[in-house]
Amino acid sequence: MKASRQPARAPATLGTALATAAHSGDGLTFVRSLQDESSLSWAAIEERAYRCAAGLHLAGVARGDRVALILPTGPDFPLAFFGCVLAGAVPVPLYPPVRLGRLNEYHVATAAMLTAAGARLIISTRRIRSLLGETVARARPPLGCRTVADFDCDPAGAPTPAAPDDLALIQFSSGTTRAPRPVALTHTAIMAQCEAMRPLLRGKDGDTQRGVSWLPLYHDMGLIGSLLGAVAYPGPLTLIPPERFLASPALWLQTIARQRATISPAPPFAFALCARRIRDEEMAGCDLSTWRLAICGAEPIVPAVLERFAERFAPWGFSARALAPAYGLAEASLAVTCTAPDAEPLFAAVDPGRLAVGEAIGPGERPVTAVGAPLPDIRLEIRNADGDPLNDDHCGHIWVQGPTLMREYLDQPEATAAVLRDGWLDTGDLGFRRDGNLFVIGRTKDVVVVRGANHRAAEFEDCLQDLAGVRPGRVVAGGFIPTGADGEELLLLIERSPHAREISAADLIAAVKVRVRERTGIQPGRVVIVEPGTLPRTSSGKLRRAASLDQYHAGTLSQPAKVHGAALAGQFIRSAFAFLRTRLRP
Amino acid sequence: MNEREQEVLDEIRKIVTVTLEGTGTVTPGDRLAHCEVMDSLGLITLAVGLENRFRVKLSEQDAPGLETFGDVIELVNRRRAEAGR
Repeated sequence: MKASRQPARAPATLGTALATAAHSGDGLTFVRSLQDESSLSWAAIEERAYRCAAGLHLAGVARGDRVALILPTGPDFPLAFFGCVLAGAVPVPLYPPVRLGRLNEYHVATAAMLTAAGARLIISTRRIRSLLGETVARARPPLGCRTVADFDCDPAGAPTPAAPDDLALIQFSSGTTRAPRPVALTHTAIMAQCEAMRPLLRGKDGDTQRGVSWLPLYHDMGLIGSLLGAVAYPGPLTLIPPERFLASPALWLQTIARQRATISPAPPFAFALCARRIRDEEMAGCDLSTWRLAICGAEPIVPAVLERFAERFAPWGFSARALAPAYGLAEASLAVTCTAPDAEPLFAAVDPGRLAVGEAIGPGERPVTAVGAPLPDIRLEIRNADGDPLNDDHCGHIWVQGPTLMREYLDQPEATAAVLRDGWLDTGDLGFRRDGNLFVIGRTKDVVVVRGANHRAAEFEDCLQDLAGVRPGRVVAGGFIPTGADGEELLLLIERSPHAREISAADLIAAVKVRVRERTGIQPGRVVIVEPGTLPRTSSGKLRRAASLDQYHAGTLSQPAKVHGAALAGQFIRSAFAFLRTRLRP
Repeated sequence: MNEREQEVLDEIRKIVTVTLEGTGTVTPGDRLAHCEVMDSLGLITLAVGLENRFRVKLSEQDAPGLETFGDVIELVNRRRAEAGR
């Protein structure tokens, strides 16, 4: 078994990786609660995925066709995912509706993603399918919406194996614009990502690594980082549905202890949630000393969060050296940098006033977490606004090159050309390097990262357009980390409507919070109401989002000089007098 | 409000104040969206918390028509009755 962990030649496609994993004797375990657990070996997944592939083929799914997967964490997901892969089709995992959540916005967003990905079919569960009527009516996938069971049939005749350069997956990125972008990844890119992570998985004593993950499977960290990583490695992986973790964070740590897991990644908010919510009695009998790699990424990392987690769970054997801050993005498959295993997280304290592109970093008050060095085969440069590389300790744009990069934003050549240049990817993030480590300090793309999920700023701005009291088109959304907070929160700068003076600022703030929560599921961290004309605009009248946020944070956001009727009349009289004086001069 | 309704309301209040660290008292007439802690994480926590406590299943299909905490109480009790609990 140990020999199989490092194949002589890395598999070239996800299908060949699954075939290798099928011989390992390992597989997936699904945990819904400590009493509710089921297992599925990689061999069984392969066998049933071949049946699913045959059914897909029979139903008219052809090589290269995109198939959307709207599935919860459970056995259906790997069967449908690898069924698509083995049929030569391209899976497109999308998020299922939230229980008790509103559906209107879900239909609009999901239909937009189905259309952008050109999905020909949706695979879902019976329960979720009954809710997707409007989504299906909007996006009209030619082969409709069906369940995994519909495709179970005898795998007669070999399916067409995918070639390494074929597309293997479409995952969505928030990108920089109003619409989410379909990131197209080849088998080569995903397998390169899995290979790049392999050095992190090398145990001290050559033991098999065991994974636990509650991360959603429609998210790069959950899908590529956990599920596909476990297939490529190959090793055992235990999956917990994300909603079970959110409702009961202790289940995550209890499962790690029970499975004697060595690897479990999560965004920083999860570490903060655990430190805050888990009670001592829930940890009774738990031993976390086997957990040697707690990869932490997907959102800005507040150093205090990691310190608090390590301190809180040290009594149960957790070591701070297990924490491995990382950085990545969907356009580069997943991870770009990661802290070496067994190294304590490294922090720097920088001057927040000296973080402009091209500027040298100075010592100061703002704590920043190092996210490690680039993974093998990945190159990283910090560049100035002209695209020239900068030295260590200089702030600039983060550019990345390597075999893990996306092929394109699917069928969007202009959007692709805007970020992929000469084989390099403009990440839209800002940072600096020091002694081989990357530090991420901000971003130029219009994205707000809340609880590990990227949200487009436009998503929040658009939902307020028709709210009474808000000046249409005069809303700016951004992310900010309040002092003492565990992570990034949503900031909204809103110009009040000049025609709704009767609505008080407090009432407007309350209405804004309700609207944003209802429409997006996100609780705004801070809502600021400003007078009409305060937010800076371009000469053509478009809002300048970055400038608005910069001015707010610098405390220089101020309303324009009031131009009342009386002031105008005064100006007129003054100029008339001036005119008269010039005329009366001899 | 009968005993069964009060039971569910008490559990909702516990989830809102203890688990989600919300402030203020929940009453059945309050809209979910007006409760500060009922963002997407809050809704999931509420749903799973009620499922665990009352051993019922709340599905995605239950979302339409749920406006107030009173609606949630009614839904939970309907599911309890269906399951004979």
